[in-house]
Amino acid sequence: MTAPLLDVHNLVVRYKPRGLFAAAAKPAVDRVSLSLPAGSTLGVVGESGSGKSSLLRAVLRLVPVESGSITLDGQDWLAAHGPALRRARHSIGFVAQNPFLSLSPRLTIAQILAEPLLARGDKPGAAMQDRIAVLLSRCGLPPDFLPRRARELSGGQAQRVAIARALALSPRLLVLDEPTSALDVSVQAQILNLLMDLKADFGLSMLFVTHNLKVVAHIADQLMVMRQGSVVESGATERIMSAAEQLYTQELMGFGRRAQKSAPTS
Amino acid sequence: MRCATVKGTSAVTLLDLQGLSVTIPSPAGPVRAVRSIDLRIAKGEIHGLIGESGCGKTMTGMALLGLTPAGAQVAARVFQFDGIDLSTSAAVLRGRRIALISQDPAAALNPVLTIGRQMDNVLRTHSPHSEADRRAGAVALLAATGLPDADKLMTSYPHQLSGGMQQRVVIAQALATGADFLIADEPTTALDVAVGAQVLALLRQLVADRGLTILMITHDMDVVAAVCDRATVLYAGLSVETGPASAILTCPRHPYAAALLAALPDAAPHGQRLAAIDGQIPPSTKPISGCAFAPRCPAAMTLCHTVSPPVRVQGDHLWACHLAEGAP
Ligand SMILES: Nc1ncnc2c1ncn2[C@@H]1O[C@H](COP(=O)(O)OP(=O)(O)O)[C@@H](O)[C@H]1O
Ligand SMILES: Nc1ncnc2c1ncn2[C@@H]1O[C@H](COP(=O)(O)OP(=O)(O)O)[C@@H](O)[C@H]1O
Ligand code: SF4
Ligand SMILES: [Mg+2]
Ligand SMILES: [Mg+2]
Repeated sequence: MTAPLLDVHNLVVRYKPRGLFAAAAKPAVDRVSLSLPAGSTLGVVGESGSGKSSLLRAVLRLVPVESGSITLDGQDWLAAHGPALRRARHSIGFVAQNPFLSLSPRLTIAQILAEPLLARGDKPGAAMQDRIAVLLSRCGLPPDFLPRRARELSGGQAQRVAIARALALSPRLLVLDEPTSALDVSVQAQILNLLMDLKADFGLSMLFVTHNLKVVAHIADQLMVMRQGSVVESGATERIMSAAEQLYTQELMGFGRRAQKSAPTS
Repeated sequence: MRCATVKGTSAVTLLDLQGLSVTIPSPAGPVRAVRSIDLRIAKGEIHGLIGESGCGKTMTGMALLGLTPAGAQVAARVFQFDGIDLSTSAAVLRGRRIALISQDPAAALNPVLTIGRQMDNVLRTHSPHSEADRRAGAVALLAATGLPDADKLMTSYPHQLSGGMQQRVVIAQALATGADFLIADEPTTALDVAVGAQVLALLRQLVADRGLTILMITHDMDVVAAVCDRATVLYAGLSVETGPASAILTCPRHPYAAALLAALPDAAPHGQRLAAIDGQIPPSTKPISGCAFAPRCPAAMTLCHTVSPPVRVQGDHLWACHLAEGAP
């Protein structure tokens, strides 16, 4: 049994109260524990304000952690600082909900994909151009997109670029915050297919956050349901989808859809 | 035949819309926001208007409300609401018989006025009653939308309410106008799942109790399954299929409607590839020759690219396709 890639134990994240005399805020993440084995996908589901993004931000070391521990690849992730933190961050790729906000509109796709490589200190040149073209094609876009700009792309194409950028430094962990929530159903299907392919090809681990239980249930090995900062229920996806223990989880499954799709027998 | 044919109903038609088009001038040339939409809605029905973003759902609703953007050209062969010609009377019927429930209730309410004042502003223009009677009426309408402590709520401001409660206030306002036809444009999209389910249950109940008719604009098949009696599927500003909601969800005939349902994450077994639709919607600035879905349709034939598809009819299920039997 190998150690998990990511191990979170009793994590508490609390934002500063807004006013000078305001009472201490409730924790945004309240004693959350999770364990993500290498090569597996954990879906984190909850309604808005349940603390999903705060949990991701803590894993990305973008917000201070009040208490608890995060172990990444066997290392105490909260102890990393300075250049070591910056280096170690490369092992995590991040994809946000709205690609048009996360991709600079002025840069070409080639420049967007080069950014993380240059930031790491890679030398620009033919090798880098090759790497960029491979990344983009791996995410389903032909090389003629390289000179184009993000604002010329459709939502699905832009999200493919954002995923390619997140993979630029060959991370082992991909962290996704509502990556399909701004997309239409047909495009959502393309992106979910891409994520399943990438997971199979690169042995990626994924932490996939969404308010849409059905979307993440399709690709996650395990699910974790959050409400008001706490974990309501967690376990294997099949178990939760077939026999959710909590009424709240059942509510998240939606409005009792739907009559079985009849098998075509023409 | 794969699916049972449902017999046509003899219900009274409230809305009859044929060949609606909305064209908006733009620097890049005219935008065909709505190319040709047919919509027939019976009294007392919840009719789903389904499709992906940009297909013309909201603009169709705006045309019914007489709220298309300045300069837009609205045309239709038939544009009738309860026997009244909407092409000349949409603005008159809005706020009397036709009301809008939008996605964002916070934006629909006035942030600086109490709920009571906003309700009264509506009631005052619609009824000759005394102030005390109007107040009682407002409280009754708020209570009818399931809001607790409607009396106390009258002195609250919108920001003091949750999104679900705000949406109920918007519905109460629509009822206050006396409207019998509601255009609900993605009314639950901004709400949490359980709250959205409650709002849908409320709308369903209002249809039963007050004989309302609702056009339910949505991209969410769960919403269609939960509350719609019938539905119309749009693609690129065209109505491509219409019929009983259950028939469309379980037995879609138009290849686009079939593809849209097949792309849902719960349409494939766990972890298996989803049936994504390749390609993109045709740009709304370009005219379309033949079938609009032809460049993406897995069943497309040569003539699909040049010849407009005929309308196929099976009972009260209609679709526009060169395939006589519909989606394979
Ligand atoms: N930067 C912030 N400052 C203060 N409070 C915040 C901040 N970000 C989120 N919160 C609060 O933390 C809680 C969890 O929010 P979030 O993690 O964004 O939830 P989710 O992603 O599930 O919608 C909410 O109550 C939210 O208002
Ligand atoms: N005010 C406007 N000016 C120009 N084009 C518009 C305007 N509003 C909508 N459109 C265009 O009309 C088409 C239909 O839009 P809309 O009815 O909002 O679609 P939906 O509600 O189905 O997402 C889209 O191509 C959209 O870009
Ligand atoms: S008309 Fe042709 S292209 Fe259009 S949906 Fe039918 S089969 Fe497909
Ligand atoms: Mg969030
Ligand atoms: Mg819309």
